[in-house]
Amino acid sequence: MIGDIEVRGREELFINIHPIQAAGRLTPEAMKAMIAYGDGYSTCDWCRKPFRLDKISRPPISEFHLELAEFVGMDQARVVPGARRGFQAVVSSLVEKGDSVIVSSLAHYTEFLAVEDVGGVVKEVPLDEENVITGENTAQKIEKVKQDTGKLPKLILMDHFDYMFGNEHDIHGVGKVARDYCIPFSVNCVYSLGVMPIDGREMGADFIVGSGHKSFASPAPSGVVATTDEWADKVFRTTQMVGDVSKRRFGVKEVEMLGCTLMGANLIAMMASFPRVRERVKHWDDELKKSNYFINEFLKIEGNKVLSEMPRKHTLTKVDTTGSFDKIARTHKRRGFFFSDELKKRRIVGEFSGATRQWKLNTYGLTWDQIKYLAQSFHGIAKKYGINVA
Amino acid sequence: MVEKAVEETFEALFALTDLRQIFRDTKPTYRFNSEQKRQIRDIIEKVRGSLDVIEKELIK
Repeated sequence: MIGDIEVRGREELFINIHPIQAAGRLTPEAMKAMIAYGDGYSTCDWCRKPFRLDKISRPPISEFHLELAEFVGMDQARVVPGARRGFQAVVSSLVEKGDSVIVSSLAHYTEFLAVEDVGGVVKEVPLDEENVITGENTAQKIEKVKQDTGKLPKLILMDHFDYMFGNEHDIHGVGKVARDYCIPFSVNCVYSLGVMPIDGREMGADFIVGSGHKSFASPAPSGVVATTDEWADKVFRTTQMVGDVSKRRFGVKEVEMLGCTLMGANLIAMMASFPRVRERVKHWDDELKKSNYFINEFLKIEGNKVLSEMPRKHTLTKVDTTGSFDKIARTHKRRGFFFSDELKKRRIVGEFSGATRQWKLNTYGLTWDQIKYLAQSFHGIAKKYGINVA
Repeated sequence: MVEKAVEETFEALFALTDLRQIFRDTKPTYRFNSEQKRQIRDIIEKVRGSLDVIEKELIK
């Protein structure tokens, strides 16, 4: 215990399949960084002129920013306190009151809020029959907006992989549409940047936004916003404000970043994880093999379904156990919690407690031994309750 | 030298962090392979060594 705060040992004691926690688990290097740099403004020990976070060279924060931009195939990058602040910076720079912004109909709520914050209006692209956003549907929506409002949308905000199904969307197709209509294109890579290779230029993106705590083995909040040189002056514009009494100026500070962004341990932990993150994205195929192995085993349980696209292109998957574990829950004295109890007995956590119909899981970062153990555990629970396993 | 004790405090904490990672890699069965057993022995040795230095520097 830390006073009355319990120690969180779940990553050491349990297999955790929580949909949003998997790829944000810290590397040992990040854990060490948290120990050494936890004090408030720890990154400011060697802050010298021009007094801005991304210019600090000790520890090598400045170098990290350059490497980060290169890592995502863009010209410039900034760290931000969560991807949502990245969406906000982009939207706030480009969108004005009444402007339309194209989003996915699986867009994260923070994309909605970023647009609402500036008085814009979201216009959702419908999914196709596979729950995927296509370039064609995006073009149709743009035409509809143009027809309805007499103006083109100011921005396209599109998810690479969505949070609901973990489906891959046609980013290249959307990027082509964005270019055809000359609409700036921002890609939400919250579920991809840090787990698989990302090349913003190749995607046709003007902006790339990622999450440190979701996919970059970093603490919350942390994230990335990256752009091209063409857009950097707009999104990373510096303040022009002058105090009317004091005549003070803060010239080098970037307006959308509110000056310095991710100060302290969160940034240093991101930096500490970076070498391992850079390496792990090369092994995304292995993660997909494990994800598909588990899902195939999961589907051997009679009544189980997968709601995400198949075969899996991500480790995040939405499943449906209405035809299996939910049947047991209907008459069990613990209702849906029987399933959580059974998982916990087998040292597995992270499912939505009590849910036995539609729920999500994420296998990212588990070893093969853990994946096989997970599959066997699901089979074991099914067999215990008389559900057939093929 | 307090500096040495401080340095060894971090070294011990970092070594124990490596042990956390071994727990994470092997949960929930904790069947350690020979390499992991060697790492665990090294970590314990490292922490003991750090504690010896801390004790020597601060108390003895």
